[in-house]
Amino acid sequence: MLTILDQVNLRVQAGEFVAILGPSGSGKSTLLALMAGLDRPSEGQVLLDGREIQALSEDELARLRRTKLGFVFQSFQLLANLTARENILLPLELAGHASGPKRADELLRAVGLSERGHHYPAQLSGGEQQRVALARAFAPSPSVLLADEPTGNLDSATGEVVLALLERLRREDASTLVLVTHDPALAARADRLVHLRDGRIEREESVGAGGHR
Amino acid sequence: MRVSFYLRSMARESRGIGGRMVFFVACLAVGVAAVASLAGLSSGLDATIRAEARQLLAADVAVGAQRPIPAGLERFLAGLPRTRKTDVRTLATIVSAPAAGERGGASLLVQMKVVSGDYPFYGNLRLDPDRPLAELLDGTSAVVAGELLERLGIAGGGTIRIGGQPFRVSGTVVSEPDRIDFGFRLGPRVFLSAQGLERAGLASRGSSIFYRTLLKLPEGSGRREAEELAARIKEQLGGDAISYQVENFADAQPALRNALKRADRFLGLVALLSLLIGGVGIAQTTRSWLEARMDAIAVLRCLGMRPREVVALYLGQTLFLGLVGSLVGAAASTALLAAAPRLLAGIAREVRIDPFQPLALLRGIVLGVTVAALFSFPRILAARRVPPLRVLRRSVEPLPAGKLARAASAGLLGAGTFATAFVQSGSLKLAAGFTLALAALVAVLALAGWLVAQAVGRAPRRFTRVWVRHGLAALARPGADALGTIVALGLGTLVVLAMHLVEAELRRSLEADLPRDAPTAFFVDIQPDQWEGVRALLEREGATNLRSVPMVNARLASVDGKPVSEIAGASPEERDRRRWALTREQNLAYLAELPEDNRIVAGAWWSDPTLAEASVERDFAGILGAKLGSRLVFDVQGVEVGMTVTSLREIEWRSFRPNFFLVVEPGVLENAPQTRVAAAHLPPGREQEIQDAMSRAYPNVLVIKIREMLEKVAGVLEKVGRGVRFLGAFSVVAGAAILAGAVGAGAVRRGREVALLKTLGMTRVGVVLVFAVEYCLVGLVAGLIGAVGGGILAWAVVTHGMELTWETRLLPFALAVVGSMGVSFLSGTLASARALTRRPVEVLRVE
Repeated sequence: MLTILDQVNLRVQAGEFVAILGPSGSGKSTLLALMAGLDRPSEGQVLLDGREIQALSEDELARLRRTKLGFVFQSFQLLANLTARENILLPLELAGHASGPKRADELLRAVGLSERGHHYPAQLSGGEQQRVALARAFAPSPSVLLADEPTGNLDSATGEVVLALLERLRREDASTLVLVTHDPALAARADRLVHLRDGRIEREESVGAGGHR
Repeated sequence: MRVSFYLRSMARESRGIGGRMVFFVACLAVGVAAVASLAGLSSGLDATIRAEARQLLAADVAVGAQRPIPAGLERFLAGLPRTRKTDVRTLATIVSAPAAGERGGASLLVQMKVVSGDYPFYGNLRLDPDRPLAELLDGTSAVVAGELLERLGIAGGGTIRIGGQPFRVSGTVVSEPDRIDFGFRLGPRVFLSAQGLERAGLASRGSSIFYRTLLKLPEGSGRREAEELAARIKEQLGGDAISYQVENFADAQPALRNALKRADRFLGLVALLSLLIGGVGIAQTTRSWLEARMDAIAVLRCLGMRPREVVALYLGQTLFLGLVGSLVGAAASTALLAAAPRLLAGIAREVRIDPFQPLALLRGIVLGVTVAALFSFPRILAARRVPPLRVLRRSVEPLPAGKLARAASAGLLGAGTFATAFVQSGSLKLAAGFTLALAALVAVLALAGWLVAQAVGRAPRRFTRVWVRHGLAALARPGADALGTIVALGLGTLVVLAMHLVEAELRRSLEADLPRDAPTAFFVDIQPDQWEGVRALLEREGATNLRSVPMVNARLASVDGKPVSEIAGASPEERDRRRWALTREQNLAYLAELPEDNRIVAGAWWSDPTLAEASVERDFAGILGAKLGSRLVFDVQGVEVGMTVTSLREIEWRSFRPNFFLVVEPGVLENAPQTRVAAAHLPPGREQEIQDAMSRAYPNVLVIKIREMLEKVAGVLEKVGRGVRFLGAFSVVAGAAILAGAVGAGAVRRGREVALLKTLGMTRVGVVLVFAVEYCLVGLVAGLIGAVGGGILAWAVVTHGMELTWETRLLPFALAVVGSMGVSFLSGTLASARALTRRPVEVLRVE
């Protein structure tokens, strides 16, 4: 059997911003998938708020993702057949939020795309698409946000804008953020850095309050 | 989740699936149109027959038989208060034009109707001049169909000869209310008065006359009164009731409607076949649609959508599209029905049907949505298994379905096919047969597809050309899924070829099966004293292979002591057959020698000198319920004659010689009133001339030209066949569309392949050749299996169903296979056209 992660022991506090760094194949994405309940560990435990998530059924996992988890991906992952506003609205509809449309409009405004809500992803630039993705991730006010190279497909100036937005939204909601990247500049904004290599935690370092600017 | 959310999501899912939606809808719509228009046609005709039941019967109640009604019943009917009565007699006879110069006039077989009393009680007998029939007819005049005058070459009117007597044509028939013949007519109509029939000397013709008494109840009477009178008439007839057809307008032509129902069952299953083939297209569309949506489904899962919610969303979408497709099909069927009178012009005259048939539309829509759900459901279930992890890793594929799930979806498909076949045929047995046959065929087609893929995968590739190699590899690669295409195309080929072969074999049998010297005409109703003259005339005219048999008309009175009125079958169909066999006017031939086209299958020919012996055709004996040793009693014009069955025979009917169900030993019937029937081979091209001569010399002798009759039958069959072939051709078109759809669905992958091949230096011609090999092979496999299946089906129908000989001709098979290959190649290549014409860099850069 192939071992992708081994002896990984990681605890993330509520409200904390943790960046996971490592070269390709170090197991960053697998760790993120395990934390999101998208994958199940062959051994060991993943606990969220003290609940063992690998023991949850598909339906319970779905409910968990609906309410507690938000995702941001490198390739944005917007639904192409939905407008920007509908993409943001979708998780709210799934969670049955009564005030969904209002919240979607607020979020559109917050990411600076009030005028673009009726556009489809194909009609938006990469940076705009990722801003919509951010708004979608924050829509149900998740307690944990998981981000996979959120600026990986963007030029540095646009990446900077998206990142600033991500930090602002996170602060407002006081959510926990776990971010996978191999960009040291991006990682420098985190409270804590976790370096992975060959499936093991190589080292951890606390950046202290430096992340909160 | 709330319903409103589902509805919104379904609407959003519909964005950007235009082409696919059109294909989905088209796949379903054509099948639904076929099912609904057939059902509509059948129920529309049924409704018309019911609505016009009085006109079609021309009366409230009618009593008919090949014999006059008994005197007792005649008295009973005469005593009915305020009830009007008309007697109608119909018979076939020969009519000729007056002699023109040295040569006699032309002659023609006609259907004659003799009316005494008011006719018709309901509906219109339209004549030209527009006067009542009774006013136009006297003892010396006739009213005839315009067609008759044309064919006799006396379009201007004048005089015709019937039974040797001249009759003045006093009018022509424009339309008759109670003539329903669905395209098959022995000959044109001639009306004569009762005195006219006497004068023509045909009134004593006995058995070949059909007697019918029409009754009109007092004004204000309805269905109940008609049913009551019919019941009282049956009561009056007592034990004889079985020999008479007692019809009332409330029953509305039960025999005709039963025949329609039977046709509807068979054609309904053919229509269902096109719907099911459309289902294969739906399965493929759904699959490629969901494959394209896999990333989106993973995102939905990530956002917290539950697996069953994903299934509900896509199932809802499919049902919606199924409904749209079915509605389009239903609309098309209504349009088809509106055009039906014109389309059916050759089969049935003056068909009026209401194009809006709500029940037929409902049936089409329900079957359409069911088929859409059945065929897409297993594919949609696969959406459950799309892992949300795909959002992080594109390469994660859905888990394969478990064995149980696959077996369950196959079972569901089988059960659904059975249920829809039952709806279409109304018979559990037919539905089960249809389902099993289809399952077997699909299994064979699937197995063949798999074997070809295996064989191709293993074939040595060292010596073949590069495009052959790639073409073969394309077919053998995992997930090529040529199966759906092979199944659809194979089934289509089967239906079209089988239909063609049955028709062609029938035609060929009619033309070639007759031995060179086989009789080409029958001569019926030859009086004993005319026979020598008739024989001399025929020999003089060059007729050969002349045979004649003396024949006595009789009615069966009892079988093994049981009166015929007590013998009836269990099922209605069996009852009908039995009733016909028991009550027909039996033709008893007496013969010393066993004819060469007869074969004894049980007992021995005239073997017991102590008994009056009879020999019965095997199947006919079965219907009568008679076996070796059974005692048959006949009523020979008032005299009871008993005989014992001592042999059963099989008859080679195809010899077209005069043959009889019942043959009696010589010495039993010689003194009974009798006629002769003869058959002869007439010199080719001289049949009409000889008929004309016969009608001058012996006007009472009925001449039946075999070829003309067979051609009439073949003509009707051909018209029916045209409809079936149309439905079958749809299957082929559906197969081509499904292939094109599958190819189009894989366009992205296909585009990459083409781009890579081009980048590696293959020319466009080379790429087309790669495709040609792949698609032609698919068409070849489908065509071969479809052709073999179609051949077996046609062979079974021709040899067992129609009892004709079978001759295998390779050309139709070859054409079917080549056609299947051509359809496959064309639709596959056309669907790949975009991939072919794009520049490689456009395709490769996107990835």
